[in-house]
Amino acid sequence: MKVILHDLGRQYDGMLEARCDRMIAADGKYAPCQGCFGCWTKHPAECFMKDRLQQVCRLIGQADELVIITKNLYGGYSAEVKNVLDRSIGTSTPFSTYRGGQMHHTLRYGKHNLWKVIVYGDVSDAEKDTFRYLSERNAVNDGFERSEVLFAGSPAEAEELA
Amino acid sequence: MKTVLINCSPKKRFSASAYFLFLQRLFISGEKVNGTLRTPADHARILEQLRDTQAVVFCLPLYVDGIPSHVLRFMEEMERFCRENDLRFSVYCIANNGFIEGRQNEPLMQVFEHFCSRACLDWGGGVGIGGGVMLNVTRILFVVDIVLLLLNTVLSAVNTGSFFPKEAWISFGENAALLLYFNLGVLFYLGRMGGCIRNRTYSGKKYTRILIPSFVFIVFADIFFVIASLFEGGLFRGWLARKAAEEQ
Repeated sequence: MKVILHDLGRQYDGMLEARCDRMIAADGKYAPCQGCFGCWTKHPAECFMKDRLQQVCRLIGQADELVIITKNLYGGYSAEVKNVLDRSIGTSTPFSTYRGGQMHHTLRYGKHNLWKVIVYGDVSDAEKDTFRYLSERNAVNDGFERSEVLFAGSPAEAEELA
Repeated sequence: MKTVLINCSPKKRFSASAYFLFLQRLFISGEKVNGTLRTPADHARILEQLRDTQAVVFCLPLYVDGIPSHVLRFMEEMERFCRENDLRFSVYCIANNGFIEGRQNEPLMQVFEHFCSRACLDWGGGVGIGGGVMLNVTRILFVVDIVLLLLNTVLSAVNTGSFFPKEAWISFGENAALLLYFNLGVLFYLGRMGGCIRNRTYSGKKYTRILIPSFVFIVFADIFFVIASLFEGGLFRGWLARKAAEEQ
């Protein structure tokens, strides 16, 4: 399953929906993670907050290919996109293991294929390096076989790269 | 000299960030102002404190290899505020994660460095702490030890008339020494960064952790989550199952 997570705005929803199986619009109209671990210990793979992201970890968890389109923010994801990722930790279980030589959580949905990030907006060379590093770390953490980072000149170009 | 210390944990109480910020305060002199960043309603109050500060210390948990989204929203606003008001001060960061390797905080540190560059602020460096949740538990255990010591002292006074039960004090000393040992790496690097904050110099990015072997840590972390899931009921609700998403 291919899942696209994007912060491009509602005008891109239709075009992006045609390119994937499920699309998540990161519009910021949801609450930030409260760090309660309830999606591990109380109601597995589900958030206690009953908004649009309540079951987002189930979607991302089942993605074979996850494409993230994000505006650059200091070499990392935009707040809207990061909010969705923060609410998705239920893709893993509370149990720990070693992956890539470091401690991580075991995967609720098993291995995935591609963690692809498409960055648009003003981005410096140093921020590009951080994005590549961050993407690699995310891929290991979430059990993706490989990661890829592309830099687009504009939101429209980012949409085409998805 | 004024330092603003911002607790960025979304938790209302007993957060690891609050604990590390408490320790960091011990190594900073001058005026110290506390800030709590949980919701957008906290932004204005913290931003006002930045007008005349010389240093800011962010203390936050690592979320998905990066900065929690509610902190990113504040940083965007802070960048604009600092630029509009032509503010310049040093920014330090204490990041903690639940895994044992403090080095897993490296992407977060890099993002803070880029933030400082964009906001024309001085990046002062930071401390990345592994095993933050478990270190936070050590402070609770320390309080429990003190309570037990007091109880033993009262019992001893009632039963024998002695206010100095030797065995209870030895036991307390042993436990306190062990808890102190777990925290030594954190205390060393926060002390070191405290010196840099006082002098407004660059402290570099340093990584430390709870001082126990990784394979022991993992066992305790798993036990912690089994007990938590037992009490909260997740253990009986398809704890490790591949849950399907409902159509929305």
